[in-house]
Amino acid sequence: MQTVKMVISGAVNAGKTEFIRTISEIEVVSTERRATDDTRLIKKETTVAMDFGRIAISDDLVLHLFGTPGQKRFDFMWEILAEGMLGLVILVDSTRPETFRETNRIIDFFVSYRDTPYVIAANKQDRPNAWSPDELRLALRQPPHIKVLPCTATDRESVKNVLLELLYVIQERSED
Amino acid sequence: MALVGNIRDFSLSDFLSLVDRGYKTGALHLTYHDQTARLYFEKGKLLLAARRPEDEKPELLVRLGVLNADQLAQACRALAARGNGVTLSQVVIDAGMASPERLQSALMGHTEQSVYGLFAWPEGDFVFEHNQRPAPDAPLALTPISIDHLIMEGVRRIDEWERIRDRIPSTDLVPRFLAPPGEKLKGMRLSPDEWKVFARINGRDTLAEIAQKTGLSDFDVCRAVYGFLTAGMLELVKRQRVLAAGMPPVEQPRLKKSLVNRIINRIRSM
Repeated sequence: MQTVKMVISGAVNAGKTEFIRTISEIEVVSTERRATDDTRLIKKETTVAMDFGRIAISDDLVLHLFGTPGQKRFDFMWEILAEGMLGLVILVDSTRPETFRETNRIIDFFVSYRDTPYVIAANKQDRPNAWSPDELRLALRQPPHIKVLPCTATDRESVKNVLLELLYVIQERSED
Repeated sequence: MALVGNIRDFSLSDFLSLVDRGYKTGALHLTYHDQTARLYFEKGKLLLAARRPEDEKPELLVRLGVLNADQLAQACRALAARGNGVTLSQVVIDAGMASPERLQSALMGHTEQSVYGLFAWPEGDFVFEHNQRPAPDAPLALTPISIDHLIMEGVRRIDEWERIRDRIPSTDLVPRFLAPPGEKLKGMRLSPDEWKVFARINGRDTLAEIAQKTGLSDFDVCRAVYGFLTAGMLELVKRQRVLAAGMPPVEQPRLKKSLVNRIINRIRSM
């Protein structure tokens, strides 16, 4: 059985758990706990370890989805999760510009020392005051070739679209 | 849809940079306690900055000493007669009441000072309304003002490493011009230290090496480079095969196209 891995990252409350929950075939294995620091101002429970979801591609191939912990003190987990990943989805809460700096830090971490295929998902596009993907591209200073995609993490079609767009980037780099 | 936020989290320099790179047209409304400000932009350039409502009125030209009260009344009548599409500033020039240079200089100076004052705000809510334009009789700069040097001014006031580290995580990175910087430099006023840094950028030296060669501190070099980055002049690259933390480059696994296609087909079918 071959397994391949994708990582879903983003700042606290960007929607990582929801994103995986929406597409995973198994109930997401999540270690959500009551938040103990300033993240509790944002949500009562947050992911302090990681989320894990799974999609069976065929009898001999499985796609694993890992959500990174949002809190800074779990940064050490990122290196472990990044090992051998196929690609990366960076989720951004489009309604909270205060998280854009943190999002840039995360992008920098994951793409600085490895040539990681990634896309940015502009989550919560269904909310009022959501910054559009074009505006997020400017705010996050992403070059034109990086895909910044509209996303609503609770909507299966939207999540599928983000994963497919990432797969198209991976496809371009893959061997014949 | 309006862009909403707070300059505590997304700084005014960053927002000006976004407007510049996105060629935005609209009005930025800022509020900090009982203070307000409004900045109008057209295609990424600044038309007018008002720290109070009176700054958007024709009387500003009298306050700035460009016109006297009689001339202003005459200009306003002429503006009303000429109708849409003509600005008050254009009417003033056409009537020979002030030279273009005098008018532009007065309005540019006023606008710049208004924006500089905003950089002192530690926080403030902002709302950017797309395509909102100033009133027809507003005293607009004849030539919209490039905001690159306004961004640099904002960056000069940064005194915290944390903000700079967000974009410059290591002094082992190499700054490199995105294009010949000539065009971007027009209208940008650099301090002597910024010139020192600018002159040392060659696409080969790291930030640490530039600091060593200029005798400036790492912080001063990084702050100047942060300004150039924010103004869209530079990018930072890793020196080839010499990575900041001594980490070897991580090779991504190269997959077979057929395997990726299988995953794509599966996701599509879900």
